[in-house]
Amino acid sequence: MPSTPSDTRADNPPDTLGRGAPGVRISGLSVVYRTPAGELPAVRGIDLELPPGTITGVVGESGSGKSTLALSLLNAVQPPGRISAGSVEIDGLGDVVTLRGEELRRARGRHVGYVFQAAQNSLNPLKPVGKQLLDLGRSHGVADLRGLVREARDLLGRMGLDGARVLDSRQHELSGGMRQRVGIMFALVLNAHLVVLDEPTTALDMITQATILRIIREVHEERGLTTLVITHDLGVVAEVADRLAVMYGGRVVEQGPTRQVLGEPLHPYTRGLIQAIPRLVGDIGEARALPGRPPTLATIPAAGCVFRERCPLRTDVCVTQEPPEVAHGARLVACHAVEGGTGEDRAGAGNHGGQDGAGEPEGRAVTAGAREEQV
Amino acid sequence: MITGQGVTKTFRQRGGVLGAREVRALRGVDFTVGRGGAVSFIGESGCGKTTLGRIIAGLEGHDSGEITIDGVAMSSLRPRARRPYFRRIQLIHQDPYSALNPTRTVYQALLAPLALRAGQTGRTASWVDERAGELLGLVGLDPDYVLPRYPHQLSGGMRQRVVIARALTVDPEMLVADEAVSMIDVSLRLGILALLRDLRERLGVSVLFITHDVATARYIGDDGELYVIYRGQVVERGPVETIISAPVHPYTQALLSAIPVLHGLERPGEQPVAPTGTLEEDKPDAGCLFARRCPFATARCAAEVPALGRTGDIPQEHACFHPEARSVVAVPADRA
Repeated sequence: MPSTPSDTRADNPPDTLGRGAPGVRISGLSVVYRTPAGELPAVRGIDLELPPGTITGVVGESGSGKSTLALSLLNAVQPPGRISAGSVEIDGLGDVVTLRGEELRRARGRHVGYVFQAAQNSLNPLKPVGKQLLDLGRSHGVADLRGLVREARDLLGRMGLDGARVLDSRQHELSGGMRQRVGIMFALVLNAHLVVLDEPTTALDMITQATILRIIREVHEERGLTTLVITHDLGVVAEVADRLAVMYGGRVVEQGPTRQVLGEPLHPYTRGLIQAIPRLVGDIGEARALPGRPPTLATIPAAGCVFRERCPLRTDVCVTQEPPEVAHGARLVACHAVEGGTGEDRAGAGNHGGQDGAGEPEGRAVTAGAREEQV
Repeated sequence: MITGQGVTKTFRQRGGVLGAREVRALRGVDFTVGRGGAVSFIGESGCGKTTLGRIIAGLEGHDSGEITIDGVAMSSLRPRARRPYFRRIQLIHQDPYSALNPTRTVYQALLAPLALRAGQTGRTASWVDERAGELLGLVGLDPDYVLPRYPHQLSGGMRQRVVIARALTVDPEMLVADEAVSMIDVSLRLGILALLRDLRERLGVSVLFITHDVATARYIGDDGELYVIYRGQVVERGPVETIISAPVHPYTQALLSAIPVLHGLERPGEQPVAPTGTLEEDKPDAGCLFARRCPFATARCAAEVPALGRTGDIPQEHACFHPEARSVVAVPADRA
């Protein structure tokens, strides 16, 4: 792609220059989907903070609500789903749940970059990447398209690709790992400082995955981003994330610093999940699958703990009462059976402690409709 | 027992902007899968492992080399006569969501092959129902719950079990499982792996496991053998545990080094190996195929082709001029 030197920054409004990594505060977030059986919650009473400049990993199995949570950051939950309660405050942008129309469209791309699940297949197969880049620029009213192309080329070069060649290529001419990097370029090229990556390495090989994870980490640091990585793979989170939130049945059941959660998991689900991962070392006999199966939208229990059907520590109270998120040091854990609690509330937990109560009533309100329980 | 000698396969694409293009998927592969044995093929996508699996399952032809099933060379038979041999080998797909017809119940999915089987063996219709229940029980499903249901009413793990049950309807000697757990929820993967291990023990069925995730290969059985495949060639072969703990080929080392470390639970291996360059830039065919990405390559590697074999006191076979065992995989962290 030809380009001549010109004023690169002409298109950027001054307020977006030099802006740092934004913090994100998700409070009491609930998302429901309309089904023949009524509105069912996919995500319920989520409190999660993304401190500025950190990488947070959200881990969950299919149906845990992790992708729905990610879409909420763009206020992009599609019908029949809708955000039914809560707020998503992003620094410099406000509560995205209240944004509508043109405001919202502008925020996507400029403030929040999103790399979609299966980004390998999210390009237009008929157009060269460069043409799609220009479409993106025009739809966001970028005046200096040459500058945009140059920025895209630099980003691709930074990720180890020949930028000019990639921009001239169509999707089928790029490998899976290359497409993934193109997806990351699209998320960053409008200078977004909050980036959401949904399953960034699924369907990639180990070596390519390792490369992409390294790039995510490096680009995150160089550009001063706040990053959210959504994945089913604890290994991915372990490699890139500073903080980890474990989701199950639409709830965050445990969150805290990654190494702490992996090294000493407290919630029975986190423990079971870690024990269920095939590992390269150690006794094969020690690993075991979790009994039962993850709940779907229709089988998430309406009351009590979402994990109780598969839980070895289940008691009567788990059936009737939803466990609140309780601080354990720097961690929050939602389990009746985990000892300890608010008394240990220290340093890191202080940020979250105040939010504990807030999400819960809203979570209940959404699930008021009676649902028969089944496994 | 199934063996292959010097199996090659080249895909030719005609037309396109660049004219004809050749992809050498397999460049002379030898393999042996014994009765009740477990063999795993690992490698990056495009390395030929899936093609090899399809050839072994009789779904794809090969260009040269020989495949022998229970002592009978397949090249000596006419295509029609090969069928009963290849029927003993059943492929289990990666995607249990597309492997089952969504408009048919589990009962209907099992009925067709079982009715065929009943015809072949002179059994009655009641045997079909009985056998359907038996097979579902064998794969850990409740027949009463599963039989009347459609695939969309089952979880991914249950679907994959149904697919395995269907493969068992023809009493196979070998299951070829191509990335059979990669689309299954993490908490349920071990269940499917344990099932394959269990089927080996109970039915004597052998398992050919094709994966890019080396860790899962351990769970098919600790007596398993591992083939590391790079660009259509086996570069290292030996017992799973030996290759994981002391790989000698730099490609194997790069592959194992790339596996995420569960920081907090594990710490990285001491001698990680990172490949230089990427697969798509790696074109030349002279010398060792991995030489251009290999951090330890010498002039000899660019000129000569290393053959798969044993050297010195290294227990596994390898195709490298400079084999050196390195500890690359993560080790359990010391508890504080």
